[in-house]
Amino acid sequence: MITWKEHLGTDIPDELGREIDIFEMQMELRRQGKLDEKIFAETRLRRGIYGQRYDNGFRHDGIRSQELPYPSGDVIKGPETLWDAPGMMRIKIPYGGVNPRQLEMLADMAEEYSDGVLHVTTRQDYQLHFVHIDDTPDLMRRLASVGITTREACGNSVRNVTACPLAGVCHTEAFDVSPYAKACSAFLLGHPDAQDFGRKFKISFSGCREEACGLASMHDMGAIAVVRREGGRIRRGFELYVGGGLGAVPHQAKLFDSFLPEEELLPTAQAISRVFARLGEKKNRARARIKFLVAKLGIDEFRKEVLKEREIMPPDERWTAYLPEVPEFQETAVRPPAALNGHQPPPGFEHWVRTNVYRQRQAGYAVATLTLPLGDLSSWQARELAQIARRFSGENIRTTVEQNMVLRWVSEADLPELYAELDKIGLGAHGAGTIVDVTACPGTDTCKLGIASSRGLAAEFRRRLGAKFFQLDESIKDLRIKISGCFNSCGQHHVADIGFYGTSRTIKGHKVPHFQVVLGGKWTENAGSYGLAMGSAPARNIPEVLERITGRYLEHRSNGESFQDFVRSVGKKNLRTMLQDLLLVPAYEVDSSFYSDWGDPREFSMGDLGTGECAGEVVTLTQFNLASAEQLVFEAQIRLDDSDFAGADSLSYRAMVEAARALVKTEFLDVPGAPDTVVSEFRRRFYDTELFFDKYAGGKFANYLFRRHGSSPQSPTRDTAHQSVEESQLFIEAAHACYERMAREISGVR
Amino acid sequence: MAGWQKLGLKIFLEEPLRADTQEFIPAFHSWIQSQAVDGHLLIDVHDYSHVHRGPGILLVAHEGNFSLDQADDRPGLLYHRKQNLDGNREECIREVFRHTLLACSRLESDPVLGGRVRFHTREMLLLANDRLHTPNSRETFERLRPELTQALSRILGRGVFSLDRVEDPRELFSVWVRARRSFRPGYLLRRFN
Repeated sequence: MITWKEHLGTDIPDELGREIDIFEMQMELRRQGKLDEKIFAETRLRRGIYGQRYDNGFRHDGIRSQELPYPSGDVIKGPETLWDAPGMMRIKIPYGGVNPRQLEMLADMAEEYSDGVLHVTTRQDYQLHFVHIDDTPDLMRRLASVGITTREACGNSVRNVTACPLAGVCHTEAFDVSPYAKACSAFLLGHPDAQDFGRKFKISFSGCREEACGLASMHDMGAIAVVRREGGRIRRGFELYVGGGLGAVPHQAKLFDSFLPEEELLPTAQAISRVFARLGEKKNRARARIKFLVAKLGIDEFRKEVLKEREIMPPDERWTAYLPEVPEFQETAVRPPAALNGHQPPPGFEHWVRTNVYRQRQAGYAVATLTLPLGDLSSWQARELAQIARRFSGENIRTTVEQNMVLRWVSEADLPELYAELDKIGLGAHGAGTIVDVTACPGTDTCKLGIASSRGLAAEFRRRLGAKFFQLDESIKDLRIKISGCFNSCGQHHVADIGFYGTSRTIKGHKVPHFQVVLGGKWTENAGSYGLAMGSAPARNIPEVLERITGRYLEHRSNGESFQDFVRSVGKKNLRTMLQDLLLVPAYEVDSSFYSDWGDPREFSMGDLGTGECAGEVVTLTQFNLASAEQLVFEAQIRLDDSDFAGADSLSYRAMVEAARALVKTEFLDVPGAPDTVVSEFRRRFYDTELFFDKYAGGKFANYLFRRHGSSPQSPTRDTAHQSVEESQLFIEAAHACYERMAREISGVR
Repeated sequence: MAGWQKLGLKIFLEEPLRADTQEFIPAFHSWIQSQAVDGHLLIDVHDYSHVHRGPGILLVAHEGNFSLDQADDRPGLLYHRKQNLDGNREECIREVFRHTLLACSRLESDPVLGGRVRFHTREMLLLANDRLHTPNSRETFERLRPELTQALSRILGRGVFSLDRVEDPRELFSVWVRARRSFRPGYLLRRFN
């Protein structure tokens, strides 16, 4: 029976194919209980494979907590995460850019392995839900065949690098940041210096300061394009910010450099990664993001550390290799530029143009936004959209952090026809970037950390506001609503005019879903300021809360006053007073509807909250490298079983070198991978010092490595290959023991 | 048998639909409460009614999903098998029919929906969720037609239906099954027995 691996063959890039093969082997190791559950959890997270609600095998059905007896029994894919439980697959798309072929592949993946729906996230990723882990290797291979990797989409790694969806076509940008975002994403993907973080690391690129653009202020590292005139020529660079972030404790990013020359972008990102890996918190997950490190050290001290690191880093030609290609980074249009020709447009076109079309810097071209309700589109829509894009926009499709998609380089004359085509497939809704275009994280629908139904509330808002959109005052239409299912802010509620995040209250023994109301956040100026929490209202009252706030704004705002200014001028106390009656919950016997959430008829419960995987597992770089060595020796065993003795011997040797390198890296992070260097460094640092020595066996296991490194067998037999595998296994065990002794000593000193 | 284990079947609703699609949400939740579907571990309900031609209201199970599917703008119950089925092709087809008909029958008598939901079998859509082993091509159709005909003859009766392939190659391999007359799901289920 042919497999996708065989079918796709060389369509899968070698490196990606090899990585996926390794992951498939790690899955087998975990199934057999030969790979630690935490290491496997972080491994799969770094492949984009995330846990999902109810994957601990329990679900509250509204009456009781029900056990979900999956057929795989107690086989787990991470702590309290059952193997057979459906999971989520996050697919990272640098700066949100996909071409039609990729979109079609994503559509097929959603249909064959998920639930037929593609979900666009608030970080320009795509997510598939209800995916079985056994399907993920083929899913990843098929994506790899069209140039998409899911690597480091989750876990303690550099997440998707985002950028303004208008980059390259915007009127206010300094220059197109797309090629820089692309280069940064590629450079840090799998980079050894970005593998030992205590938490995730998010990077964004903006073309200008004033617009929302890439939301630099709320990112771990935010780069805003700036230019400087030097000696008669224009020099490109970035205003670089670090240490921003939302979450439960939002931080505004601090200015790291007002002009970082373009050639310093990648080395600085690398140096920041090294400082974060070295000094960032690892134990306390709640304080492990870089924002806490920047706050603890202060930006000046943090900068000093980064610059010191920058000085000692070995040079890397990739730092600037991409720069000559930057001017050539150009998207091409499929149709000539032309103005709207004045023909009778289809019904609804004018409304759509008003909210969903942005006229590009390039005359005669426009960007069309596709408003996706709750960030969702069906496989069928995605396939049809790919065809439409080929006709009107070419390769130029991007996602946005507001969970929409854009088609760029559309000839303005084609807009009426494009609108008609989009409308046919249910993607012609107007209202992009307005109050009806509500952003919401997955919340209790699928997230293990979700407290309240962010999507349920968003759907209710869409229904109510959509019905009266044309009657709304312009000042209300332009407000933004963003909803998170909990305080972790995946819905980015802090930077909305009106934000909500899920909470819970207990009233006489019954749980009641609530939303905390957050007002006055600033979306523009790269997420310029964060909103103020006003109090928690029961979920059932939230639509009324919105009515009252917007009504009061309309009545009392002074001439042209922004919503942020209105919130400041009225004040938190008065706003809370205004909402006071809506914060109350009637008794269960009086109105039980308050005791269930939007879109979910079950009686509300907190019983389904699980352990989130956003923070990943704290797995050190050494543990990861030792796990790689174990995977190599496992592969050697398979070769031995297949009577490939030379292959078994060679892999056993490589496994020992990998394990030795893992130890050497604890002292010499940049040790090159050449076996001669690794063995020599290992001998000097771990054998001569007796650090590696076993209490009883002394240096015996190290000698396995030295002997094999000194002479490789001419033609290994079954017996010699078997011995190599055994010795390699013992060496790796000794390396583990050595690392544990070192870790104990370090914690003892602390 | 590769590519034949992950089958799907859509049985259409009589229109106009007299129940609101949102009413299927509490119905499906109640199925989970009693784990009402044999051979299925029911997990969760998902509302995708906002997605154009999407899965509508989705009941997720480990073995296969049930959804109030909106594809082709025609609502119907779609059973989408996820775990492999045992047996030969005919047995796989029979099993998928059985699960789908059972679910339709259950919805018709579901107290939450109050008898306002009726399915017909004048037209059904059988699909294979595996582009590798069952690509949507004329060759696949010609290869499988004899076995499809044999299996469906036993379910619907000999010579009372026609088969037509959905020709868009981007879609999953899908076959329209058009019967000369419509049977109620309950009647077809009794024929299984």
